[in-house]
Amino acid sequence: MLSKLESMLMPLAEKIGKNKYLIAIRDGFLLSMPLLIVGSFFLLIANFPIPGWTDFWARFFGEHWDSYFSKPTDATFSIMAVLAVIGIGYSFSEQMKVDKLFGAAVSLVCWFLIMPYEILVNDTAVSGIPLGWVGSRGIFVGILVAFLSVHIYAWVNKKGWIIKMPDGVPPTVAKSFSALIPAGISVLVFFILNIVFAMTPYENAFNFIFTILQTPLLKLGNTLPAMVIAYIFLHIFWFFGVNGGSVVGAVFNPILQTLSAENLAAFQAGQPLPNIISQQFQDLFATFGGCGSTLSLLIAMLFFCRSKRIKELGKLAFIPGLFGINEPIVFGLPILLNPMMLIPFMLVPTINIVISYFCMSIGLVPLCSGVAIPWTMPVILSGFLATGWQGAVLQMLLLVLGVFIYMPFIKMMDKQYLEEESRTVEKSDDDDIDLNDLSFDDL
Amino acid sequence: MKRVYLFCSAGMSTSMLASKMQTVANEHNLPIEVEAFPDGKIGQIIDEKHPDVILLGPQVKYRYGEIVEKFGSKGIPIQVIDQTDYGMMNGEKVLKSAIKLLKAAK
Repeated sequence: MLSKLESMLMPLAEKIGKNKYLIAIRDGFLLSMPLLIVGSFFLLIANFPIPGWTDFWARFFGEHWDSYFSKPTDATFSIMAVLAVIGIGYSFSEQMKVDKLFGAAVSLVCWFLIMPYEILVNDTAVSGIPLGWVGSRGIFVGILVAFLSVHIYAWVNKKGWIIKMPDGVPPTVAKSFSALIPAGISVLVFFILNIVFAMTPYENAFNFIFTILQTPLLKLGNTLPAMVIAYIFLHIFWFFGVNGGSVVGAVFNPILQTLSAENLAAFQAGQPLPNIISQQFQDLFATFGGCGSTLSLLIAMLFFCRSKRIKELGKLAFIPGLFGINEPIVFGLPILLNPMMLIPFMLVPTINIVISYFCMSIGLVPLCSGVAIPWTMPVILSGFLATGWQGAVLQMLLLVLGVFIYMPFIKMMDKQYLEEESRTVEKSDDDDIDLNDLSFDDL
Repeated sequence: MKRVYLFCSAGMSTSMLASKMQTVANEHNLPIEVEAFPDGKIGQIIDEKHPDVILLGPQVKYRYGEIVEKFGSKGIPIQVIDQTDYGMMNGEKVLKSAIKLLKAAK
């Protein structure tokens, strides 16, 4: 049964792990991550989840002190699609083996080329770059444009339709000339696309993609079943020792990120938040302490187990575990390919998702504000920063519940290890290398 | 200076292991530099820094075949880190396995 599942999943993981497009999306979003966290930080200062916070500081800094703090957010979140286009254009160029900087720049230009430069002010159109499209609503168009434009760029390059400079011309000059025709053809294609879309009832490509692709995808991603299924897959991957987060995340994270950004926009505008499920919901409520919510398991290991092996591992894994890094447990306990741990490993996160979703949908706990809290932020603190004190309480309860679910299973393993330890005498590592007496002269 | 480079999916836990290995190497005055990188950068790092040994975290084991296929011809020994040693963050044992690879590959 297990080997059958493994033989099905491994090729799938490999396919996803090697897929040029998914790698490009994954790496491309890495560009915006730190910047979004920085932007969030300023927003958090202005809107710290304590009642009366804003008014308290207004006494010292004047009425509108917090408006300055939203500027860094405007400069990060509100233009996150720009960052996505540049990042994905860059990393996809790397995959396609063309000049990365030109690839990113061409992606950005093509993306702006199909964007309507019109803003409605009191029902009259004024020219300008619409903030509505450069933020979260433009992300999916950005992903598609980056792929298509770099593809064209690489295709022209491969055809050899490039201006070759004679030897002796400085390489930078030669590079900019050789980028000329591929860039020109990419731009030409999007120039035509822009005209084609203008003839449709959608008026432009952005409206079209937003209506046809982005809205339905987000609707689907923002449902409890989608989250539960994605997470069950993620944990099955981990169970076989494959980093499930990067496999499932490659597909699911753009959706979660966009849902988060929608929440943040509403949060900034002081409107009710639209989405229960978001990047923060996943990072902070579904799994804290890493996949399988192993922070609960760690507590069970440290306080209720007696075997040397588990205790040692618990001590070793505790500090990284606080920050959501749990590979020591996954590989050291081990969880992977260990049928005894599979049930709680999948059950705990699923229960976390269902309970958190339920608490948020009936209004017990506020929704995640979309403020980008890094997934490495320790539990309880992270819940507080994302939603307020209710989220911290929810995390605490889930953490304790998780300890109880893991308990019977880890106790079984503990018993097994105790028996093994009582039978075996401590044997020294017998390997043929002595680090004190080692010469590198022969290398 | 021999370069032992570790690759895993995010480079997070692997960097913990790398720093433990580096500590062991330094204690014994071995001319070894241990560093960790995300697996997405493997091609770039090989081209730029020419590591002497490549160790893969067990969570990217599924890429072993592909990585050997791509870079094996460069003569750099490539191995997946033992799962238990990785979990227990046993810097000494992993370092020894890297040295064995170095010795065998010369």
